[in-house]
Amino acid sequence: MKKSSIVGIIIIAIAIGVIISTYADSSTYGSFTDAKESQTELHVVGTLNKSKELIYNPKVDANYFAFYLVDKQGKECKVVFSGAKPQDFERSEEVVLTGKMIGNEFSASKILMKCPSKYNKDKMEVQEVEHTAALNR
Amino acid sequence: MDIQFAGEHLLPGKLGQFFIILTFGSALISAISYYFATVKDTNDDSWKRIARLSAWVNTFAVVGIGASLFYIIYSHYFEYNYAWAHSSRSLPVYYIISSFWEGQEGSFWLWMFWQAVLTNVLIQRARTWETPVLTIIMLSQVFISSMLLGVEVLGLRIGSSPFILLRDAVEGPIFSRADYLNLIPDGNGLNPLLQNYWMVIHPPTLFLGFASMVVPFAYAVAGLWQKRYKEWVTAALPWALFAVMVLGTGIIMGSFWAYEALNFGGFWAWDPVENASIIPWLTLIAAVHVMIAYKNSGHSYFTATFLVLISFVLVLYASFLTRSGILGETSVHSFTDLGMFGHLLTYLLVFFVIAIGFLIARWKDLPITKKDEETYSREFWLFIGALVLTVSCIQVIATTSIPVFNAIFGTKIAPPANVFQHYHQWQVPFAIVISLVSGFSQYLKYKNTDPRKLYVKLVMIIIMAAMITSAFAYVADVYHNVMYVILTFAAVFSLCCNVPFLIDALKGKWKLAGASIAHIGFAFLLLGALVAAATSKVVSINTSGVGFGEEFDKSNNAKENIILYENEPVRMDQYTVTYKGDSTVGVNTYYKINYKTINQTTRKVIEEFDLYPNAQQNAKMQTIVASPDTRHYLLHDIYTHVSSVPLKTETAEHDDHTGHSADEGYDQPATYEVALGDTIRYREGIIVVKGINRNATVEKIPLGKNDVAIALTLQVIAKNKTYEVDPIFLLKAGNKFDFGKAVADAGLKFRFTNVLPDKNKLEVMVYQKPLAEKKWVVLKAIKFPFINFFWAGNILMMVGFLLSIFRRNKEIRVKPEEIKEIKLQSK
Repeated sequence: MKKSSIVGIIIIAIAIGVIISTYADSSTYGSFTDAKESQTELHVVGTLNKSKELIYNPKVDANYFAFYLVDKQGKECKVVFSGAKPQDFERSEEVVLTGKMIGNEFSASKILMKCPSKYNKDKMEVQEVEHTAALNR
Repeated sequence: MDIQFAGEHLLPGKLGQFFIILTFGSALISAISYYFATVKDTNDDSWKRIARLSAWVNTFAVVGIGASLFYIIYSHYFEYNYAWAHSSRSLPVYYIISSFWEGQEGSFWLWMFWQAVLTNVLIQRARTWETPVLTIIMLSQVFISSMLLGVEVLGLRIGSSPFILLRDAVEGPIFSRADYLNLIPDGNGLNPLLQNYWMVIHPPTLFLGFASMVVPFAYAVAGLWQKRYKEWVTAALPWALFAVMVLGTGIIMGSFWAYEALNFGGFWAWDPVENASIIPWLTLIAAVHVMIAYKNSGHSYFTATFLVLISFVLVLYASFLTRSGILGETSVHSFTDLGMFGHLLTYLLVFFVIAIGFLIARWKDLPITKKDEETYSREFWLFIGALVLTVSCIQVIATTSIPVFNAIFGTKIAPPANVFQHYHQWQVPFAIVISLVSGFSQYLKYKNTDPRKLYVKLVMIIIMAAMITSAFAYVADVYHNVMYVILTFAAVFSLCCNVPFLIDALKGKWKLAGASIAHIGFAFLLLGALVAAATSKVVSINTSGVGFGEEFDKSNNAKENIILYENEPVRMDQYTVTYKGDSTVGVNTYYKINYKTINQTTRKVIEEFDLYPNAQQNAKMQTIVASPDTRHYLLHDIYTHVSSVPLKTETAEHDDHTGHSADEGYDQPATYEVALGDTIRYREGIIVVKGINRNATVEKIPLGKNDVAIALTLQVIAKNKTYEVDPIFLLKAGNKFDFGKAVADAGLKFRFTNVLPDKNKLEVMVYQKPLAEKKWVVLKAIKFPFINFFWAGNILMMVGFLLSIFRRNKEIRVKPEEIKEIKLQSK
């Protein structure tokens, strides 16, 4: 057997290992209920509860940011993030959290936001309706 | 019912749309003609002439599209969706260029433009390769230009045109008005993050890289198609090097942009979009190495061909990932979906089928050697290196493709929770192997090498590398982690192996230095990336704030942001840091942060500098977009960005209100009974009762016989200023009045309210404004040690590629015996 074929087989074996590791390392999407049951790090997708206050008071603690998120099952939970409030957070439509439950609070290690596109059609309409109303007055 | 819309400029759009059709049509004709020029064995070159002519028309039309679009954006014709969505009137000209490629359509145009430029170069230089190679490239041009068509065929919209009108793109009640344009005074503007000079040059470079990857692909296909199995490797090699160099430069510019302009806090985040650009780069780098191995030894033919072919397919896969919207919630910065999912997939599949189809069809003819490589031969290790690069690429693809996997199998797998750990556990070992191989294979000869001589040389280098590694690992503080030490050794070893070749080069053999310079660059890049990423240190650790005291959990509870009040110094690492105020230029507010290093014993300032991290405040959205500022040193960087600042609008409104009513905006007054010469203390200084003027007058109020007007002269001594003020007390017809006076600068107001003759005292009321909200910023500062190794390594690598291009390009100028061979074949 050719040496390069042997090497090739070894490399393919490593590649398979790589792919298996990818899916072994991969996390899961879940809800707050799952997070509470499993007590492991996972991703929670949800929407920000805009009616409740965002707690970020840098004068007290610049590294404490808390808010309320409603997950896809409709369950609300307080989320705590050790860090500054991300820019644009108020505008976020959908939030993807990485983290785990500690007590009754979800401790997030990473926050990823989906903000509405500036070029969103709905928003364009709202803006324009206001515009014309002002002119007709 | 048609409405006649007022004020629209329809000509440039119609012209642009015409150029799009012309681009598509001419590319199609050119591809077909080149195909027939290749397959028809005729003596007259009429097909080739038609093909060339259409290729030139194509170039002209592509430029025409660009000119029309630029004219629209430059003239602020917001009736066009593209101009409205991506630009605004206030945008300076050089950012109009970056708004040009903020959208998908503009970036497709860029790709098309570069492909057209490359086509023209190839028409001039490709000689016998022209017809087959350009058949493939023109086919690619057909696909890209179809992305801009924006026409409906059988109810299916093909492509997305940049010349679509706003009223066609967006639904809205105002578009029923003929004068709707008056209601759209300005465009949406360019994403502030893209308003950076790197964004003017990063996309063109990146897209030149992507576009030039089609050239080696086309050569490989042409080689298989024309059965010129061996020749294509030599002809394609400079192009492969060119693509690797340009794409590499483009990726690094993106990385530098992220470091300089985004507050990601680093130069590489393993974001899917970044990964998408590096995937084809890795395979093409691997391809270049095995192409060289094949040229010199005849081994690794299949590997070289396959890697060249798959690299371009991966470019298309990368575009599919970033442009189809499939990345969804895994990436922060992919393009928005324009409904081109199927279209992009078709492009990808067609080129994939071409590549695989030719390989299968020609499988039996491929010049694959049956001989075994020697263990002590350069070609064997070039092959191993290429395979390791490929596996490293597979690892990146596997993780980046999780959303694709989910889409195909309907699963719901999330990406790894700790991205850095996940990638590094694989990429660090790969980097170690690659850099070791890139070192010792320099001392191997093609075919075979005497192992004894090899080991004698290597032992010396290993000893030297071990010494340097231990010193460096100690200085750079990476000796706590075994993998880091091994990686450091591997990089240093590669350096030690390659430097002697560089010295030879400096003695005059410049031509051959390309490889060693690129390898030295790679070694520096690894060292820089390793140290900067592994030992980067957040220096803005909050020691004063309310902490949980759980220092063990670094990733979660490190208090990485610190609040600074104006003019209140805070110690941070070795620095004394002070927020000195802010200034606003255009949309940006710059926060002046003063850094001082003070010698603890002598109290002398050793070093002092200011950084100006900025934030764009969006009053309407109540958000900020922050950009960092960085102090560069030879061996480390101090990187600073604001994480949170008080929003401007709130304070501005506050000031407005205070002017309305006389006593509004002041705290509860304090009443004092004073005599001449007394002093009153207030929060920021003292007030001295200087004297009284019994003959004061009050404007517009005539004084009667028994009326008295007394002015009290008060001296206000504030922090570093003195003011005089004289409130007046008036006794008119037995009634008491008083006329207060304010010292606006000091935020004070006085009323002289009564005279108390029995006590021999005067009554004064002092009004003081509430303590002004102290200005503050929350900031994060990170120290990146040895990051310049990373940038310098990258630059060296690109220089190495450039030198190699010159060398390999010369090799194309064929030797006489080869010309004979070609003639024989063509007969």
